[in-house]
Amino acid sequence: MAEIPFPLPDLGEGLIEATVLEWLVAEGDQVERNQPLVEVETTKSAVELPSPQAGRVARTYGEPGETINVGEPLIVFEVPDNTAGIVGTVPQEAPARRRVRLTAVPDED
Amino acid sequence: MSEQPSGAVASSDLEAAARNTEQTAAQEQSSPAPSPEDGAGRMENLSMQAALNRALAETLAEDPRAVVLGEDVGRLGGVFRITDGLQERFGADRVFDTPLAESGILGMSVGLAMAGFHPIPEVQFDGFAYPAVNQIVTQLARMNYRSRGTMPMPVTLRVPSFGGIRAPEHHGESLEALFAHVPGLKVVSPSSPHEAYHLLKHAVAVPDPVIFMEPKSRYWQKGDVFPDDAGPLQGAKVVRPGRHVTLVAWGAMVARCLQVAELAAEDGIEVEVLDLRWLKPIDAEGLAASVARTRRAVVVHEAPLTSGLGAEVAALITERCFDTLRAPVGRVTGFDVPYPSGDLEDEYIPNIDRILFGIQRVLEYRRG
Repeated sequence: MAEIPFPLPDLGEGLIEATVLEWLVAEGDQVERNQPLVEVETTKSAVELPSPQAGRVARTYGEPGETINVGEPLIVFEVPDNTAGIVGTVPQEAPARRRVRLTAVPDED
Repeated sequence: MSEQPSGAVASSDLEAAARNTEQTAAQEQSSPAPSPEDGAGRMENLSMQAALNRALAETLAEDPRAVVLGEDVGRLGGVFRITDGLQERFGADRVFDTPLAESGILGMSVGLAMAGFHPIPEVQFDGFAYPAVNQIVTQLARMNYRSRGTMPMPVTLRVPSFGGIRAPEHHGESLEALFAHVPGLKVVSPSSPHEAYHLLKHAVAVPDPVIFMEPKSRYWQKGDVFPDDAGPLQGAKVVRPGRHVTLVAWGAMVARCLQVAELAAEDGIEVEVLDLRWLKPIDAEGLAASVARTRRAVVVHEAPLTSGLGAEVAALITERCFDTLRAPVGRVTGFDVPYPSGDLEDEYIPNIDRILFGIQRVLEYRRG
């Protein structure tokens, strides 16, 4: 298993921090990409943060009411080692199937 | 490191060039011979991801002038986890994130190499090497030539390459013919975790710029890695012997050709699979040695047919084996279209049936 951290992004233009309002997932939860993770409040608005990826929630940072600086850890995902990169999927190893049979007999001279 | 040309002032540029060439040759011939007493030594079952990660970590630990740079290679650890944990271990001055500008990544690598470093840049996907082609072709590839051998470019450019992972446009390109055509570059593609581990470490030690094409569809499959037994690092490698026809492949197509060989054996056809490994320079003698035995050859690649590397392979075989060939060299390749989106990938990449057809055509060919 590999851990992938996700730091708090800049949610506006030049915002430096956000306050946690409510966690929508808990440690141990399996989350999907784009699933809402947490509601936070910035100086501009309250927003729900969608998950950047699928994985199991290993750790969350910040209780409701606590402030997190942009770039500091927000959540850590745990994913299997054979998880795909950010683009694409992991090819599945399928048994070799075919429709073509070789019929030619090579001459051996 | 002995392969780095010394900083001593050369009496002439040409002398320096000659010395550099000799060092290259000496270094390339010095692949460690496996010791019969030890057998194969340690063995580990690793994915290609893990094997590449380990090769980079060991390189950074052993070579203080090695640096890793690219988009997301630092804090994130790379989109394919190849550089996972390296920044944490070696620091952000040796493993660092760059802006999203491939020309800058390669330009910076050229400058670092001039300053005596051994840069290991990554472009995140094959299709994003295009923005860096100017730096690669006009600077990286010819700086050594331009400086009469006084300014070698020991740069290893890692490129996650080829298709097979259902990715969008620009994420499944095969660039080997493009780079193999450029004088001054070396091009290599590993087919297994063992090859990936050893060829990457070797590529970094080579004083020339090396384009290191990682078959991204093979990142996750595990294989046995023998860290103490590299075997020969130059040239092609017979990965399955056979006597009726030679399949020539590289990267992800090697595994597919091995599947084909297994199926062909059921039909009584013994297929030899040759992993070309080095796409520049191509091991012409290794090719000829295999085809001299089998007298038939089919080359398989994902890239489009026209002016693909298969044409070069076919020409090399024909030049050396014309008198004994039983059939013209066959080619089973991608099509002359832009690489398709993920849904059509299986129609584009040579599949088992197309490769079997290619073998059939060559087997049933008769002169006259």
